[in-house]
Amino acid sequence: MTFLDPLINGLSLGSLYALIAVGYTVVYGIVQLINFAHGEIFMVGAFGALSTWIVLGQASANLSWWMLPLMLVGGMVVGVTVAVLMERFAYRPLRHAPRLAPLITAIGISVFLQEFVRLFYGAIPGFPDAKAAVVFPQIEFFTGPAIEFGGAVIQRATFFTLGALAVSWAFLWFFVNKTKIGRAMLATSQDPDTARLMGIDVNRIITIAFAVGAALAAIAGTAHGLRYGNIDFKMGFLAGLKAFTAAVLGGIGNINGAVVGGLVLGVVESLATVYVPGQFGGAAWKDVWAFVLLIIVLVFRPQGIMGAKVVDRA
Amino acid sequence: MSKKTMVLGVAALLSASIALTACGSRTAETSAATTKTAKIAVIAPLTGDLSVMGLGIKNSVDLAIKQANDAKAIPGWTLALDAQDDTANPDVGANAATKVAADKSVVAVVGTLNSGVAQSVQPILNTGNIAMVSPANTNPSLTIGADPANPKRTYPNYFRVCTTDAVQGPFAAQYVYNTLKLTKVAVVNDKKPYGQGLAEAFAKEFTKLGGTVVDNATVNKDDKDFSTVISVMKSKSPELVYFGTEFQLAGPMSSQMKAAGLNVPLMGGDGIYDDKFIALAGAKAEGDLATSVGAPIESLASGKSFLEAYKAAGYKDGYSAYGAYAYDAANAIIAALKVSLPNSADAAAARPGTITALANVSFDGVTGKVGFDKYGDATAKVLTVYTVASGKWVAKATDTAK
Amino acid sequence: MTASATTRQRAYNVERIVGLVGGLIFAVSAFFPWAYGHEALDDMAYFGSPSPLQWFAVVMALALINCLAASLLEPTLNNSTGFLKLLGRISKRFGWIRGARALAIGMLAYAVLAILAVALELNGLVNLEMGAWVALVGAGIAFGSSMMLPTGRAPFLERIPSYPVLEIATIALLLMGMLFASAYALSQEDGGTFLMVLVFIGALAGFAIGSGFGSWVATAGRRHRTVLVSSAFLVAFLFPFTQNGSDANMSIATQVLIFAATAVGLNIVVGLAGLLDLGYIAFLGAGAFTAAVLSESAFATINWHPPFIVVMLLSGCISATLGLIIGSPTLRVSGDYLAIVTLAFGEIFRITMNNLDGSSGPNLVHGSSGIPAIPNLNFFGFDFGQSHVVAGIELGRFANYFFLMLVIMSIIILVFTRLNHSRIGRGWVAIREDERAAEAMGVNVFGLKLLAFAGGAFLAGFAGAVKAHVDVSVVPDQYVFLESAFLLAAIVLGGMGTVMGVLLGATLLKLVPEKLRFMSDYRMLIFGLLMVVMMRFRPEGIIPNQRRALEFHVDDEELVEDVEERLPYEFVEFEEVPA
Repeated sequence: MTFLDPLINGLSLGSLYALIAVGYTVVYGIVQLINFAHGEIFMVGAFGALSTWIVLGQASANLSWWMLPLMLVGGMVVGVTVAVLMERFAYRPLRHAPRLAPLITAIGISVFLQEFVRLFYGAIPGFPDAKAAVVFPQIEFFTGPAIEFGGAVIQRATFFTLGALAVSWAFLWFFVNKTKIGRAMLATSQDPDTARLMGIDVNRIITIAFAVGAALAAIAGTAHGLRYGNIDFKMGFLAGLKAFTAAVLGGIGNINGAVVGGLVLGVVESLATVYVPGQFGGAAWKDVWAFVLLIIVLVFRPQGIMGAKVVDRA
Repeated sequence: MSKKTMVLGVAALLSASIALTACGSRTAETSAATTKTAKIAVIAPLTGDLSVMGLGIKNSVDLAIKQANDAKAIPGWTLALDAQDDTANPDVGANAATKVAADKSVVAVVGTLNSGVAQSVQPILNTGNIAMVSPANTNPSLTIGADPANPKRTYPNYFRVCTTDAVQGPFAAQYVYNTLKLTKVAVVNDKKPYGQGLAEAFAKEFTKLGGTVVDNATVNKDDKDFSTVISVMKSKSPELVYFGTEFQLAGPMSSQMKAAGLNVPLMGGDGIYDDKFIALAGAKAEGDLATSVGAPIESLASGKSFLEAYKAAGYKDGYSAYGAYAYDAANAIIAALKVSLPNSADAAAARPGTITALANVSFDGVTGKVGFDKYGDATAKVLTVYTVASGKWVAKATDTAK
Repeated sequence: MTASATTRQRAYNVERIVGLVGGLIFAVSAFFPWAYGHEALDDMAYFGSPSPLQWFAVVMALALINCLAASLLEPTLNNSTGFLKLLGRISKRFGWIRGARALAIGMLAYAVLAILAVALELNGLVNLEMGAWVALVGAGIAFGSSMMLPTGRAPFLERIPSYPVLEIATIALLLMGMLFASAYALSQEDGGTFLMVLVFIGALAGFAIGSGFGSWVATAGRRHRTVLVSSAFLVAFLFPFTQNGSDANMSIATQVLIFAATAVGLNIVVGLAGLLDLGYIAFLGAGAFTAAVLSESAFATINWHPPFIVVMLLSGCISATLGLIIGSPTLRVSGDYLAIVTLAFGEIFRITMNNLDGSSGPNLVHGSSGIPAIPNLNFFGFDFGQSHVVAGIELGRFANYFFLMLVIMSIIILVFTRLNHSRIGRGWVAIREDERAAEAMGVNVFGLKLLAFAGGAFLAGFAGAVKAHVDVSVVPDQYVFLESAFLLAAIVLGGMGTVMGVLLGATLLKLVPEKLRFMSDYRMLIFGLLMVVMMRFRPEGIIPNQRRALEFHVDDEELVEDVEERLPYEFVEFEEVPA
């Protein structure tokens, strides 16, 4: 095994974290809200993609490469819908409530979405029971045999995940910096009140922030399904927690920070599995090291690796 | 003064409550009791992640009870089922056990699924002198206590029909070393009592036989991504990967191993002997191995009739991984009740007698010979190795563990 | 009085009379059978012989009739002289319509619940008898008309000067009633019956609060705090004696107490200091593991078995130390981060416990198998595992632990209330409201935060030590994030910053799932929804801390006025008012 193997594994895992972390960061940057339920959007997005395949491809066992864009769109539609509804009906009424209220709401939504999928996904005729892990369609083009490259093994799904992250990142850069809506988002994040005075519909901007985050989380959900071959109703909890860690690591509120943080976290986890010696090494402790890293960063560099807007919300 | 008022108040309250109950002309209906009822309780996860297995246990016990009632197995007595949900949580399980112990018509319990829940259910049922027969607990310490070198029975009311990790792990190791002639394996476990115990027992026996454990890894039970663990294993080129876990993790592990180019069979215990494993592992699961307790159900006459009866009873959920054991557990209890109930005035009085009788039970069950040793462990040590062939589990070898 | 005012008055009288009729119909319906079969609820299949549940319906209906009749007669009484005039003046102080509304809502819920339960238990609506539908109609009429009535002024019963004897007697009677009510509710095996008893009790409580009786009791309670507290303790102490030796309910009651004790500890952190801790269960776990490792279980890994008092203190100290370790670096960062760091800490704790098994780390707790077979406590020859007969009533194992937890609970409540009313408590509140301002005023923000964190952890460790012995085995999987969320939910549901609220929340969250086992699959779904709905409509909880409620409803001028009006003088503390 070369050093490359764990590095690539880490980047692959990290790019999933990064895709989810962007959602935390975009929303936090604008409303200073930790959307705790964002991990569930990742889960719901994956189930949306799976549903799309069940409706469109399952009958003919269609696993051609062009199924994937359809599944991505399906996942994004479901993820964005849930996120927008969540923002409208659960978070918006609480915008001026004390900090505790939206956090508790988020926990509630998170539990509710998990249970909803667990209990009712299988009740739809033709859909598999979601009480345990559900098999995700394996599209040969993206999940076929691994490619050996200079002694390192790279799985095809890794290319897809990294590629999806690169495209999303480029798109986000363009969206935020070059479009009118993106600049409105920047303005709102800097000063919502002035932005409102300038004629920006802040509510709309917030909804868009939720939608953008959800779309990326749905992509991550689909990538997760391809990479690991199965999805389940509780996959959002730990992934969401790790992604939040990544967002804080990079500097919450900073989109580039979220991407860098995600990749760093993935690599750290992967390298810790391999290179921490003795009893405290191995996969059993990798989550502990990831969270310890979070605490260390918060203590010594609360603004994160890339630096964040200083927000005082104590 | 205040005291007087209080006394008056209490008196008023009491008289009011008496008035409430005395009112009305309800005729007390005495049910003509020609037969007495004794209940067999089930404590298993009927909701939540593991409900598939829990419901299989419940239904199988229900089937055994119905058959016993139809056959009038115990003259003068009718058996009934009392199913309690433990949600795989020790606290909820303890409450369920307390409730069961308080019910004077319960004579014995089939359960639990999880060893962790069993730990908190055992003592409560023991205080109530209620026999407990588990279809699925594999943690050796439940019967032989903390020190395996110095076995000491912790709770005399506890029995199990399944074999422990200490039997199944070595059996698999012997098969791999002696039959498959493989000498280099990697061992992984999921840090759950079942998986860890199994993997440790396997590794110990395998080394003793002369094989090499090239890598000893762990994963967390919530993990999805095994790629780094696989990279490490692959660099040590094992000929087989033994994974102590249940199908939820083993399926994805198998598919990820093959996607990463580690094309060796994955082997596990009865926890992965489930069709869901093949579904999760995908097309590349061919050749993966699992051990399971007892001879293949289809190969035994009693097993076949169980399958048919279960199908005929029309339960909504399948019998799952532990249904057959639960059926044997219930029948073991019924066999013991045949001894203990006829001499008892009521169900509660039969509790100690049932425990004594259980120790001497012996019959041919669905999973093989059913009987218990002096610690309450199953005496049957017949195990079968299965392999995945064309998308199905196929029996490969049946043998008695040494 | 102008003509228009008179007509309005008359119009409302019509509604009052309609409401009266509705109540009457509801009362009469109880004497008709509600269900066809005997198995449903508590056997409502008789004509002319109501079941206990049907008698409850009569009680609610009579209370409603009383409310509406009183409000109907009030003007007449006021215009008369002598004794009647006096009655009128007393009546004026009650919030009759508010009480009637609460009752009518309760009646409607009661009827709907009865119909649903019968339909579910007997498979189909056909099994409902006339009586149930009549009850529904009656409740509907009462509900509709009471909703149309204006609520009028708030009750001001508490301003009546009163005799101490009367007050004390009422408190004692009420608590006694609570004892009987809880014993009765708990003895219900049937989930539907249990829920209906809960609705009945809720409706009566709503009636008491709405009509103004509740605040009278609250004032009385504040005046005779010692009596209230000691008799509440006495009632809790007597509870095991109502169980007739059965352990089934005592096991639940003991777990409720452990849960509640932990929740009160968390309430210091969240409710008072305003620090959101999402990994609090880890402190309970640390206490439980410490006690388990030091117990005389054959699986214990440390061969030192000090007396339980020492173990308990040690458990508390270890939890507090963990609190300091996790708190000191993170309490400097902003609140949102703290929530995540504590969550991460909870995960670290669980994973670490799983790994301390000899292969991934030192063998301290046997990893995921945990430490089973923890023996019962033994205080100077008093074996907690044995049943004891006191006054002819058998008290089982759980009753013993119940008494122990009661003592611990009262210590924790004492600590909580004393801290709350001290300089430290005011410092916490100041930090919660505005950290900057508090710091500027000379409050030692970091020190107080750390104290809240460590103090809360200490209490959880304390409770954990007992939990280890009650549960017999300690397993890492008992201490997962979901349990932290449940603890938080108990506080949010009951009311932040109040002891009574937390007790209520903890009881509801632990008891209701045990009694409604048939729908346990939907438990978490309902739980999630409940959190969202609570935060949306009543973020301050069922029994809120007044000051806290204001924080959540800054725009609600009526509430501000209401609270200010109730304050006899400035800066009075309202936290401890039991409802």
